[in-house]
Amino acid sequence: MSNQKKMSRRDLLKLAGAGSAGLVMSGLPVTVVAQDSVTIKVQTAGLDDNTLQPVADIMIARHPNVEVEWVVLTGIDHEEVAAKILALVAAGESIDVGYAATEACQLFAGQGLAAPLDDRVTGDPDQDFWTDFFSDVHPSLVEAMMYEGSLYEPPRDFNAANMYFNTNVLAENGFDVPGSDWTKDDFVEIARGTTKKDDSGNSEVFGYAWTNRLWGSWMPWIFVAGGNLYTEERAPGGGWVWDGYYDGDAAADGRGGGFRWREPIANSPEVVEALQLVVDLWQEGVTPDIEMGSGQTLTGFYSTGLLCMTPAGGFWAGRLGNEGMAKGEFDVQYWPNWRNQKHQFGTGGHWLATVATAPDEAWEFMKIEVSHEGFQSSEFFNPVIITTPSRRSYSQKDAFESTGPANSDVFYGTLDDHPSTSPIPAPPWSNPMTTIFTTGTSNAMSGAMSPQDSLDLMQQELEDLTARQPQYYGDN
Amino acid sequence: MTTAKIQADGGGLWHWLMQDTMDGLRRRRAVLGYLFLLPTLLGIFIFTAGPVFVSFGLSLFRWNIFKPPDFVEFANYERLLGDVRIAISFGNTLKFTVLAVATQVSIGLLLAMGVHRITQTAMRYYFRTAFFLPLLMSGAAVAVVMGYIFHKEFGPLNYYLGLMGVQQIPWKTSADWVLITIVIMSAWRNLGFTFVLFLGGLSNISREVLDAADVDGAQGFRRLWSVTIPLLSPQILFAAVTGVIGAVQVFEEPFIMTRGGPGNASRTAVMVLYEAAFKNIEYGYGSAIAVVLFLVILAFTLVQMWMSRRWVFYQ
Repeated sequence: MSNQKKMSRRDLLKLAGAGSAGLVMSGLPVTVVAQDSVTIKVQTAGLDDNTLQPVADIMIARHPNVEVEWVVLTGIDHEEVAAKILALVAAGESIDVGYAATEACQLFAGQGLAAPLDDRVTGDPDQDFWTDFFSDVHPSLVEAMMYEGSLYEPPRDFNAANMYFNTNVLAENGFDVPGSDWTKDDFVEIARGTTKKDDSGNSEVFGYAWTNRLWGSWMPWIFVAGGNLYTEERAPGGGWVWDGYYDGDAAADGRGGGFRWREPIANSPEVVEALQLVVDLWQEGVTPDIEMGSGQTLTGFYSTGLLCMTPAGGFWAGRLGNEGMAKGEFDVQYWPNWRNQKHQFGTGGHWLATVATAPDEAWEFMKIEVSHEGFQSSEFFNPVIITTPSRRSYSQKDAFESTGPANSDVFYGTLDDHPSTSPIPAPPWSNPMTTIFTTGTSNAMSGAMSPQDSLDLMQQELEDLTARQPQYYGDN
Repeated sequence: MTTAKIQADGGGLWHWLMQDTMDGLRRRRAVLGYLFLLPTLLGIFIFTAGPVFVSFGLSLFRWNIFKPPDFVEFANYERLLGDVRIAISFGNTLKFTVLAVATQVSIGLLLAMGVHRITQTAMRYYFRTAFFLPLLMSGAAVAVVMGYIFHKEFGPLNYYLGLMGVQQIPWKTSADWVLITIVIMSAWRNLGFTFVLFLGGLSNISREVLDAADVDGAQGFRRLWSVTIPLLSPQILFAAVTGVIGAVQVFEEPFIMTRGGPGNASRTAVMVLYEAAFKNIEYGYGSAIAVVLFLVILAFTLVQMWMSRRWVFYQ
């Protein structure tokens, strides 16, 4: 009799299971996780993570125990990216470092999602770093990143709304790029003079175009007409920046602890007049139908000679080159003078999450990003400029040497030479405010309402919205 | 066997279940059936019914996720009733639903009847694939591409219409046109579903019934109206019910192509829900909109099911 036991079906299954588990386990790489390894989650907007990878590489080279994980969120504009960040947080995901432009800086600060950076800056042993940084960054950018006296983001980039020209279209119609003191009437003359229509009256080339959004749409016209969506005032505080880092800089005089946008003034005569101007141009066929879009929406039409003028910032310089426009085929100028020449800008940077799991490492990443090494390596600024550097030393003419425009000095000049330049209105409730603004804009630009009726409705909606908000500004 | 007897035998519940009788067998089968259903029931409870109840609960609070929720009773519903944007978006959704479902059902039926008559197998496969393919495409991608096609000044559609002497149509930028544009885009993308459904239904109609109709003199439109459509009525009901449920929740096409504009002309119910909850971080208000939307869909479905008693025929 053999002592061999016949294998039952159950035994066979057990053996197979054990064997499979063994195979799977033997195939797994044996990893020993370093006890002090840290991963920081960095959210980036719009562009892919490759753009900032060089900055991450510097971070990793200096701190080999740190890994950078990208959380890439895209949207047609900044408020959509902000909405996705909020949804991400609502779903229980955490980030250490988030990106916000002016549109969402007070939103994240007001909700307590972003941490104030005052103590980190003033308590940093490397004060030479901050002295150098602030000396290179215009104070208006810093002030736009403040909320109720505290700094929430070191500005990395900014874009002021300037006027871009397709120089080929200008030349074909006998115009030159206007001078820096040009006026609203000069603009209208060029816009009409460069519009071409076919036999049936449809425009084939448009003198002027813009997209429906908060920054850069018809908002620059509101500013130069002397209006705004909200009253603009300064919060107290911020002395630690102005006295500590901008002492003696005349451009810092009178600045406070960030902006407060309290009372809607959307149907003031100045705003109505500004909207009437762009509606008139649309009705004449100088401007095409207006759609929602971002700064990239019109690049294709512009580069193919279908548009002459459009509002854009330094971010267009490298992108027009990528669209095939050669140096010299486009140029830029300040926004035209109307009742004043007050420009608007938006600035952007990373904020530190209050719930960051590795705040010190995250802060280190933020510092590297705005350091000289960060600016010299980031693909936002290399090999071509695809958003205007916040540091003055990286926004000079040589930065635009390969792409143009010839008048590239207007980018930083909008801050340095125009003291009235200020940020787009973006209170902590900027997301619903933007929806009301773009909805009201398209009401008028589709002919569904007159500019006055559209802005009366906008004013009512903004008043209701503002009344629903909790107390975001300190001394209400 | 009585319970007392079972307990006396010391068997308890296990013994009651494992009894070697016909009753025991039935019990075991019933328990097994419920065990098989359990994963599905748990899934429905956790992922469908659960969120519905939580949404209703949330709708009674003001909550922005960063601060503790505030119990506000029915204040969100009161606000909702007075919110003009909500009224317009629900109105838009209703118009879209009627137009989109009618288009999908009627054109899907016409296409199915056309393809059903094709005798060449290769051509039948070709048309089936061609009409069904858009359904497999990403709605977001379709909306982006259609956005270019429907561009008023630079879009190819207006270009070709212009060659035929048609004036430029403001597909996306006029309040009069924008819903029609979204219906066209939605119908193009979703037609494949109703088409395949009706094609299957047509294949199942008995040849004898159609021959009998022929003998009785019912041909052409008469046969379609009195024989084919009544026999397809179960498929039409299914297409209408699922079509309405999908159309009431329309979001990605208008969101990507028009962002609800111009003005509020293409803003839909789900879009205001999204804006309230995720853009404006008003989760309570967003939940109130979701609850109302749920009730609207429920009402639509119940009305359709009730009406179906009159006109749906099962073979």
